[in-house]
Amino acid sequence: MRNQETQLFDLICHSPKKGTQKAIVARDDYSSSAKLEGPVKMSSQISPMLRFLKAWVGQDSGDPGILSMDDWKPNPLIKPFGARKQRSWYLTWKYKLTNQRALRRFCQTGAVLFLLVTVIVNIKLILDTRRAINEANDDQEPEQDYDEALGRLEPPRRRGSGPRRVLDVEVYSSRSKVYVAVDGTTVLEDEAREQGRGIHVIVLNQATGHVMAKRVFDTYSPHEDEAMVLFLNMVAPGRVLICTVKDEGSFHLKDTAKALLRSLGSQAGPALGWRDTWAFVGRKGEAECHWADTELNRRRRRFCSKVEGYGSVCSCKDPTPIEFSPDPLPDNKVLNVPVAVIAGNRPNYLYRMLRSLLSAQGVSPQMITVFIDGYYEEPMDVVALFGLRGIQHTPISIKNARVSQHYKASLTATFNLFPEAKFAVVLEEDLDIAVDFFSFLSQSIHLLEEDDSLYCISAWNDQGYEHTAEDPALLYRVETMPGLGWVLRKSLYKEELEPKWPTPEKLWDWDMWMRMPEQRRGRECIIPDVSRSYHFGIVGLNMNGYFHEAYFKKHKFNTVPGVQLRNVDSLKKEAYEVEVHRLLSEAEVLDHSKNPCEDTFLPDTEGHTYVAFIRMEKDDDFTTWTQLAKCLHIWDLDVRGNHRGLWRLFRKKNHFLVVGVPASPYS
Amino acid sequence: MNRINKNVILALLTLTSSAFLLFQLYYYKHYLSAKNGVGSSKSKGSQIGFDSTQWRAVKKFIMLTSSQNVPVYLIDPLILEMINKNFEQVKNTSRGSTSECRFFCAPRDFTAFALQYHLWKNEEGWFRIAENMGFQCLKIESKDPRLDGIDSLSGTEIPLHYICRLATHAIHLVIFHERSGNYLWHGHLRLKRHIDRKFVPFRKLQFGRYPGAFDRPELQQLTVDGLEVLIPKDSMHFLEEIPHSRFIECRYKEARAFFQQYLDDNTVEAMTFRKSAKELLQLAAKTLKKLGVQFWLSSGTCLGWYRQCNIIPYSKDVDLGIFIQDYKPEIISAFQGVGLPLKHKFGKVEDSLELSFQGKDDVKLDIFFFYEETDHMWNGGTQAKTGKKFKYVFPKFTLCWTEFVDMKVHVPCETIEYIEANYGKTWKIPVKTWDWKSSPPNVQPNGIWPISEWD
Repeated sequence: MRNQETQLFDLICHSPKKGTQKAIVARDDYSSSAKLEGPVKMSSQISPMLRFLKAWVGQDSGDPGILSMDDWKPNPLIKPFGARKQRSWYLTWKYKLTNQRALRRFCQTGAVLFLLVTVIVNIKLILDTRRAINEANDDQEPEQDYDEALGRLEPPRRRGSGPRRVLDVEVYSSRSKVYVAVDGTTVLEDEAREQGRGIHVIVLNQATGHVMAKRVFDTYSPHEDEAMVLFLNMVAPGRVLICTVKDEGSFHLKDTAKALLRSLGSQAGPALGWRDTWAFVGRKGEAECHWADTELNRRRRRFCSKVEGYGSVCSCKDPTPIEFSPDPLPDNKVLNVPVAVIAGNRPNYLYRMLRSLLSAQGVSPQMITVFIDGYYEEPMDVVALFGLRGIQHTPISIKNARVSQHYKASLTATFNLFPEAKFAVVLEEDLDIAVDFFSFLSQSIHLLEEDDSLYCISAWNDQGYEHTAEDPALLYRVETMPGLGWVLRKSLYKEELEPKWPTPEKLWDWDMWMRMPEQRRGRECIIPDVSRSYHFGIVGLNMNGYFHEAYFKKHKFNTVPGVQLRNVDSLKKEAYEVEVHRLLSEAEVLDHSKNPCEDTFLPDTEGHTYVAFIRMEKDDDFTTWTQLAKCLHIWDLDVRGNHRGLWRLFRKKNHFLVVGVPASPYS
Repeated sequence: MNRINKNVILALLTLTSSAFLLFQLYYYKHYLSAKNGVGSSKSKGSQIGFDSTQWRAVKKFIMLTSSQNVPVYLIDPLILEMINKNFEQVKNTSRGSTSECRFFCAPRDFTAFALQYHLWKNEEGWFRIAENMGFQCLKIESKDPRLDGIDSLSGTEIPLHYICRLATHAIHLVIFHERSGNYLWHGHLRLKRHIDRKFVPFRKLQFGRYPGAFDRPELQQLTVDGLEVLIPKDSMHFLEEIPHSRFIECRYKEARAFFQQYLDDNTVEAMTFRKSAKELLQLAAKTLKKLGVQFWLSSGTCLGWYRQCNIIPYSKDVDLGIFIQDYKPEIISAFQGVGLPLKHKFGKVEDSLELSFQGKDDVKLDIFFFYEETDHMWNGGTQAKTGKKFKYVFPKFTLCWTEFVDMKVHVPCETIEYIEANYGKTWKIPVKTWDWKSSPPNVQPNGIWPISEWD
């Protein structure tokens, strides 16, 4: 947007020798001004439309009656006045001719006839168009036709009221006089002799048209251009800038200043020559980005005009892509599964998260909905940047209960929006999503359909740290619900969870509540050995830097695309027992006299399966396990990742099984 | 010298003038062609009617949608009806051999198409291309009713209608949204204040006067007037749906207010009842749909929908209404077939018929048959012990669709009159002790059944 805003009027008069001239230049290009609406509206409701700008450019104060078109070089962006001007010019000549009435009457009559026909055609055209306009509505489109049909004969008239306003600016630049009028009010008039030489700059408020600053920089003299650069840089973005030259302003206009003028959108300014007249009206943007006019860049522009701090999304050269089009997944079973992204007010997180999500193979962006807890604008802007659907939620209750209520509303909404869906993927804003996240789900989601003893599929292995996870093709069944990127069955939600979801006055964590036996009812979750999500959030309700460092930073995260999961059907209830027994039968029992915390507890082999037995008196006795987990530097805050008193992890590239004795049926 | 100069100037002048004239003529022509559609194809005189603005607009629209892979389908009742009448003929005429424009050239202001929103991948891009092609489009948006049931959510608005005008013809694109209960919903075409009322003759629109609910149609591809279009496979059924498609939303806001005042019953019993009542209702709806019998929520179930958008947990039964002219003897056997034995049958087809089926978990399904009189409707009731007859009188009503416990069901459109007739002005206050023989304000004793007619 920035470029169009800035360069609204810019013209220069190059040849001072050719006598007097005066030009009326109208810039009323609809297409360009229509594009202005977006950001203008954004910046302020009462921002004016810089839609019609007139400039008077002359050399000396001469006779304004005659226009000589070839004397001045209009900026190519500016369409010169067409028909009417030509006609008046014509009339002048015709008038002179009729004084010499003696000869060539025939030719004269011919010319007059031609003229008459022209005029009639013209009038007919105008009348027809008027009628068409009256019939049409006051939408933008008919106006466009109107403009075209009239061949830009009249200054545009924007119908309908509203905040869009026209700022009518007249600028005059010459040797002895400069003059600026805004909406008919003269704001600068300098015709005093021997003073006021150089570039006059006026800053207008873009909303009201009021003059906010008025300066003159005598760029004929040295160092004045530096002052001008300083001044122009200090002008707040969005302001309307008017520059006009009196007498001479190019002699000490150095490259820095010229570059700045160019960056403001001026084309004639940087080429200003000796004693040229020059006038420039534009709107200041922050940077000049010439992004191609595509749907994506329109979103990018909207985003960049509002927020900052997202790295190279807003850089002019090679901005970060905001569309990723990852490879589609062949036979994608989760293509039509809605994805709910639960978000709060951590827009930078959300940005990172959505980037990784949209880069994952097999993602379908139209299935994604971002639920924002609270009426925060910036997360919504991030969502809009990626062209996704965002839904805001009025916060209910406080702390954990607030999150829990937000989850409930989001899940209900997801199944309402996608009534055909049998599952929903639930993500949070502080997760990186693995490139094969959807591939992982696509290969495993049928389990959730076929096996009633399953509670969820999660992309997160609580015990999958750099040093305890190894095999991206391996899946486990666990009794604890890990969350952090998981799939929820609609029937489970609609029939069991939704009706008894904790009410706002109960300050429960939704995930703790979901882990409670009343809800879980003995069902298990499928998880991968190597997590398909990565929890990067350091700031959060239950999160801080230390906690993150200790428990999340070293989590293993799969970066290999297209991993083929191994033996997925062996994850079903009965088959898994067979699998576990097979594993145990071939496992080598470790030397229990050694300290399990020591690195030497496991031999330095690769690819072996080892088993260790720990004390576990009852089903809920995890004292020994917690000790072991602590010294293994894995999750030890509560018990996670167990399946009937069995834990499975990797140590030194060996599969390492831990069985609780005597509570576990495997002991 | 002077004269020659003048001559040259004169010649120049004439030249300029003619150039200018040409320019004007060019513009004029351009303008004319824009106004009347492209007049150039009139040269193809052999084909009749194909230069009409209607056909042209439809063609352009179809080109646009197929190039963008947007699966729109024709739902224009006028054209569907014509196609229906001449279906065999349409099917047999292959592409190109049509010599006469018979369907899309019929004079009318609009051609209506529909689109299921979730199949629309690139809405914004489509919009832009449409405008570049010369369409002037009006987009009607509104908030998403699917989020209304949830407290405190506010989403981005969803598009409900597009009206795209090309010259004098307009394409009305109705956007269907999927709703819980396996049906498609379209919104009310409500004009916001700044919208030009004269953009198109809105009054003549076939869709959008009210929100509507439709079954999800199967589609088929057809060549009509040389244009490849999708139409509903069972267009007859679709056409029948149109006049009765009006949809009313549950009053979620009022329901929330109700629950703030009276608190929802979240006990285990309440939840189990709701669950079995919901299953019973779903089963009943499925069975009746198979038989082609229209029904609506009545009595307590209707009140639950209207007042709290849910099943009233202490109501103990599910109440449905059916017009007596829709009665079929198969109803009883069909219900028995799905595991709902008949518990009672009161009255007879000519008078006060009421069926009562026993559902699971002690939830009863009551079906009341409604009799239409000149100025009112009524249904009957019978006390099993005494054979006493009662008559419940309702003002006349029509049926609308609504969504209730993830189902598309009928309710009386004039719901408030219906409910006030049944429960009085104080229907907003929950009453747990309700005597169906004396509590309703619209009950009238209606004599007694002669002993001989007792079953």
